[in-house]
Amino acid sequence: MASDPQSAANQRIVEDLVSRLRRRQLVGSRATALETLLVLRQVVSKARFSNIDQLVNIIRSVGRRLVDAQPKEHSVGNTVRKVLHHIREEYHTANEQPAAESSFSIAKFVLQGQPRKQATIPSSESRVLLKENDPDDPDSFARVLKPVLMEAIQDVFDELETVYDNISKNAKDHIHSDEIILTLGMSKTVDSFLKAAAHYRNYTVIVAETAPSYGGREMAKSLSSAGISTFLVPDSSIYALMSRVNKVILGAHAILANGGMFATSGSLLAATAARSYSTPVVVCAGQFKLTPLWNLYHEYGALDFGDPSAVLCFDEGDLVDKVDVVNPYYDYVRPELLDVFITN
Amino acid sequence: MPVPEPESASAESQSLTKAQKKAEGRARQEQQRAAKAAQKQQQQSGQNAGSSSNKSKGSTVQKKPASESNKIPSAAASSSKDAPTTREGAVGADGLSDGPKSRGLRIFSHFGLPKTPGHQIKGDIHPAIVKLGLQFSEFKICGANARCIATLTAFKTVIQDYVTPPHNTLSRHLMTHLSPQITHLVTARPMSVTMGNAIRQLKLEISGSDIDLPEQDAKDALCQEIDNYIRDRIIIADEVIEDLAVKKIKDGDVVLTYARSSLVEKILLRAHALNKRFSVIVIDSRPLLEGKTLLHSLTSVIPPIPCTYALLPALPSLITDADIVLLGAHSLHANGSVYSRAGTAMVAMLAKEHSVPVMLCCETYKFSETVMLDGFGKNELAPMKFSPDAPKSNSNLEVLNPLYDSTPASCITAVVTEVGLIPPTSISSIPLALGRTTL
Repeated sequence: MASDPQSAANQRIVEDLVSRLRRRQLVGSRATALETLLVLRQVVSKARFSNIDQLVNIIRSVGRRLVDAQPKEHSVGNTVRKVLHHIREEYHTANEQPAAESSFSIAKFVLQGQPRKQATIPSSESRVLLKENDPDDPDSFARVLKPVLMEAIQDVFDELETVYDNISKNAKDHIHSDEIILTLGMSKTVDSFLKAAAHYRNYTVIVAETAPSYGGREMAKSLSSAGISTFLVPDSSIYALMSRVNKVILGAHAILANGGMFATSGSLLAATAARSYSTPVVVCAGQFKLTPLWNLYHEYGALDFGDPSAVLCFDEGDLVDKVDVVNPYYDYVRPELLDVFITN
Repeated sequence: MPVPEPESASAESQSLTKAQKKAEGRARQEQQRAAKAAQKQQQQSGQNAGSSSNKSKGSTVQKKPASESNKIPSAAASSSKDAPTTREGAVGADGLSDGPKSRGLRIFSHFGLPKTPGHQIKGDIHPAIVKLGLQFSEFKICGANARCIATLTAFKTVIQDYVTPPHNTLSRHLMTHLSPQITHLVTARPMSVTMGNAIRQLKLEISGSDIDLPEQDAKDALCQEIDNYIRDRIIIADEVIEDLAVKKIKDGDVVLTYARSSLVEKILLRAHALNKRFSVIVIDSRPLLEGKTLLHSLTSVIPPIPCTYALLPALPSLITDADIVLLGAHSLHANGSVYSRAGTAMVAMLAKEHSVPVMLCCETYKFSETVMLDGFGKNELAPMKFSPDAPKSNSNLEVLNPLYDSTPASCITAVVTEVGLIPPTSISSIPLALGRTTL
């Protein structure tokens, strides 16, 4: 395939994303999911295939490269899986085989997300024309299937675009008047959730600033600019303030198959403190963060380490060469510490 | 609410040190309480020093402006250079008090607020106390032990400089002389439990001192008592605790500690001096980031103790490596809860969850008969100078830096005291067991 000029172009955009993932120029679940989807759309639109297996193999190989580039960005793998699922679904409907979607299970939901309602669009003529491995016209299969696939990918796009709106749709059912909410770090999902609730309710948010990234400061600025009464506190005072907190609302990085999650470091502390005061912990996350994986490392969720200079900067010159500095990106929060997931 | 930019912050600290020197100088002049006028002037200078930091902390103060803004014109007149900042601070504070008071504001209103240094020197305050007050409010002297020793040492000077007025006895009058000094220290920063206990003991000694004793002898006896208290309850106690705690550190252990406790630091250095091979994980957090000081002293010994440094959110990744957790305390309460630097509770909680023993190192003079149910009832806020990078407060955003939290007794495995290792819930029986009526 490498000699094929089209696949070389594909290669280039894939490589571009791979390097950006690897260099951490692209971070955040939703951003990576969107970028992955863009790349996959390019790949599908340019790919040459004469049967479904070839197409699936192309997507798979691209997906594997992307996942290997940054195994901790689970939404990349999730997006690839979702696209693959939609491709197969389209293929089955086009092939006149009624898709066996009659049975719904949690496992299927986690793996594939919401069943698409417009899945049975293909018209009867496309069904008639669909031929695999046609020796006379090897592109006929691709020609027929591509428009449908593009549409399917567009659906995934739309879902990602509207994820915040959909999550915050019933924010007012979860946040009540005069409550005190604790959150931490910078999560766009939580941010839009709280802002949506602020239209209906008058409440207070305590934001832990989440050293060393201090994403909480950004979050506090954003929330207070929306007119929400906000308190910014250091991470150390989470436990002291927890006795007055009604609800802890966290964002997630990835939600795992066992119901646990990866989240910004500090989330585990907040969730454990909440448990000791029996405060409910609510997690806001888009469906693209649901991952069919298990945390093999259990407690040690933080196999992804950040820049130590954020913790101990080079101003402390004489310390730097004598001390190990640890700055993990993520915590693994066990399922028993979480009460509710709010998804789109 | 304006928070000083980096440059203005340094300017502020300069002006504070200037003001500090000024205040000390003036206090010395007026020691014979000859000049009431000088005192007034000093109040003003104190106020100027105060108002420059007002603007950094003002947002958390709600009831302050009314009385102070009345005085501001005179302060502005006395030094025109400081006037703009003064006014700015006042305006900001007024703007805040006019703003909507949310429930959040109200529930935090009882927290001990950071005090403006040198603010309002009332009555006859000894210069040593004025100096100490400034050091407290500037966090130059910080930590329960250090503050207690500094207070007692200052009181020794006060007692030596004290002259019993005619028709009075020392045992009756000295306390009325000391009370305003204590009040001044409390306005500088809320009193620590250690200071409270020591002062109570001092009061007992004063009231018990012999009426017939010549004045100088009585004063010497009191100073001797103070020295004994520092030696017995703090210095020797620390040594005993070091001996006890060092036994719990074995070769190859990983000791986890939070922030900086002077006692934990001594224990670790002692263990190192005994050639124990162990490594230390120092967990730290804003606002004070005291762990860096601990890190400096642990790595400056030869050979340096292997250290790992991380901020509090990274704790879950490191707690699995720890074999023992050593913590310090500000005070220990009758229900066994530990009042200590904010963050200690989370370290203890997580250690308990991972079945890592938590040893709390604490002298018996830190015990308090009061009961503490959570870290919210009683707390203190750090001054804003410790968070220069934090966003500015406005009508919707408040920056709070609580200094303490309360660890429930269930998270503490044992308390190392100079009378041995005891569970945290039995501290109230210790004075009784020692045959004391007071702590």
